[in-house]
Amino acid sequence: MSNYQKNEFPSDERDKRKAENLIDPLGKNPDTVVEKIDTEEFIVNMGPQHPSTHGVCRLLLKMDGEVIVDVVPYVGYLHRSMEKIAENRTYLQYIPLTDRIDYVSAMFCNHVFCMAVEKLAQIEVPERAEYIRVIMDELNRIASHLIWLATFALDLGAITPFLYCFREREKVLDLLEMVCGQRMTFNYMRFGGVSRDLPPEFIPKAKEFVQYFKPRVDEYEYILTENPIFLGRTKGVGILDKKTAIDYSVTGPNLRATGLKWDLRKEEPYSIYDKFEFDIPTGTNSDTWDRYMVRIQEMRQANRIVEQALESVPEGEIKTKTPTVFRPPKGEVYARIESTRGEMGFYIISDGTTIPYRVKLRTASFSNLAVLPEMSRGWKIADIVAIFASLDVIMPDVDR
Amino acid sequence: MGVDVAFKIENDLISEVCRFAKETPELGFDLLACLSCVDYVDHMELVYNLFSFAHKHKIAIKTSLPRDGEIDSVTPVWNAANWHEREIAELFGMTFRNHPDPRPILLPEDWDEGYPMRKDWEGKDFVKLPKK
Repeated sequence: MSNYQKNEFPSDERDKRKAENLIDPLGKNPDTVVEKIDTEEFIVNMGPQHPSTHGVCRLLLKMDGEVIVDVVPYVGYLHRSMEKIAENRTYLQYIPLTDRIDYVSAMFCNHVFCMAVEKLAQIEVPERAEYIRVIMDELNRIASHLIWLATFALDLGAITPFLYCFREREKVLDLLEMVCGQRMTFNYMRFGGVSRDLPPEFIPKAKEFVQYFKPRVDEYEYILTENPIFLGRTKGVGILDKKTAIDYSVTGPNLRATGLKWDLRKEEPYSIYDKFEFDIPTGTNSDTWDRYMVRIQEMRQANRIVEQALESVPEGEIKTKTPTVFRPPKGEVYARIESTRGEMGFYIISDGTTIPYRVKLRTASFSNLAVLPEMSRGWKIADIVAIFASLDVIMPDVDR
Repeated sequence: MGVDVAFKIENDLISEVCRFAKETPELGFDLLACLSCVDYVDHMELVYNLFSFAHKHKIAIKTSLPRDGEIDSVTPVWNAANWHEREIAELFGMTFRNHPDPRPILLPEDWDEGYPMRKDWEGKDFVKLPKK
């Protein structure tokens, strides 16, 4: 620190003066000497079990008083070596494991892995299966954004949105459970389609949910968006500019909040996203409030996509037949989709056997967390909670 | 999906080629989408998946090096490479020259059982599935 001030007196001299009552720490008495206070940087260890780190992440904060000088994230507490496991499982055996990469939005991990293998083995997916995939993805996106909003607001001290969000998330999970039999780790998609068809009661229930959910987003906004305490904690806090974001490969809502209109669903339409109308919300100030606003808008857009897809689900097959002993041809592939947190990619190398030669996971949270030190320097210790939460990092997605 | 283009270069050129790919306006590869390492037992291969927001095109750059080899870090070009390179160095056991922060990242601090992502790695409870 530059304005580091040393004591003027050696310690024994100071004790003597203290004894004579010549030192006045507040400097009120003009006859006494003001004692200079030592200041130095200190280290605060935040985590790994801190509630606002949303998992097990340890942040080493170098502090100057209340101001953050530097942040060093320590990750790896949830490292299960998903990539090594993949080299020791058949392709089909690996699908349930992809659920565990990002358990809050597991449907995307399923989807991108199946997409990569389909691209590798050139498997066509029936249209009905694509519709089901999109509906499931977008419902999962709503559930994931709801859990983000709930914990983000809770970190800032607002408890009501937490209860509201979990109320709606429950309904989404009920819908997903109706189709997959699971509430979080779905294991639903297969190469060339999905594992089971929509039950007959799903579409009316989902349509009911879409209508029910529309005014609920306004409700969250009513509590938070114009709330002066919320604005004070988020507006202008933790600015991440476009150049830094791209330099660190930040993707997803965090990138869109910097004003870059970039969404793989629009730019590189996979599945059948080109059939639906939806907008890409972007931010203007790239601060924490913008990242909040982008996700709120995304929930509305996801709801819109579900509404359109439910109207036009075609009849037909739900899965292309694939051989029981599945051997994709030799080759390599990189497939990516827009998951809840950004670009999620699978790089698969096949050697023509039943087991992949190499699987590399590109997860959004891994890159999104790496940018945290750039964003939080110069902010107060209370702000890092808001900044960290606004990045929407999920730890198993980072550690894999 | 677009066409996937990949080309191979010598490993001592990586830093120059990456800088060229990023800074030439016609190429403008500003996003390092993914950085992977593949162990081919007799050598290692690094794959840099690049993407350009301005031109919306993508490319993969590949380079091979010996198993315990050294290669220039591309962190000065894209900061995103920082954590990816730390991960690769830790799991595959190669060295990145001029890396600003060469600490391990994912494994426990007291890990001493070698480089787990290598094909010939043997762990205590690790049983390999036979290939068919």
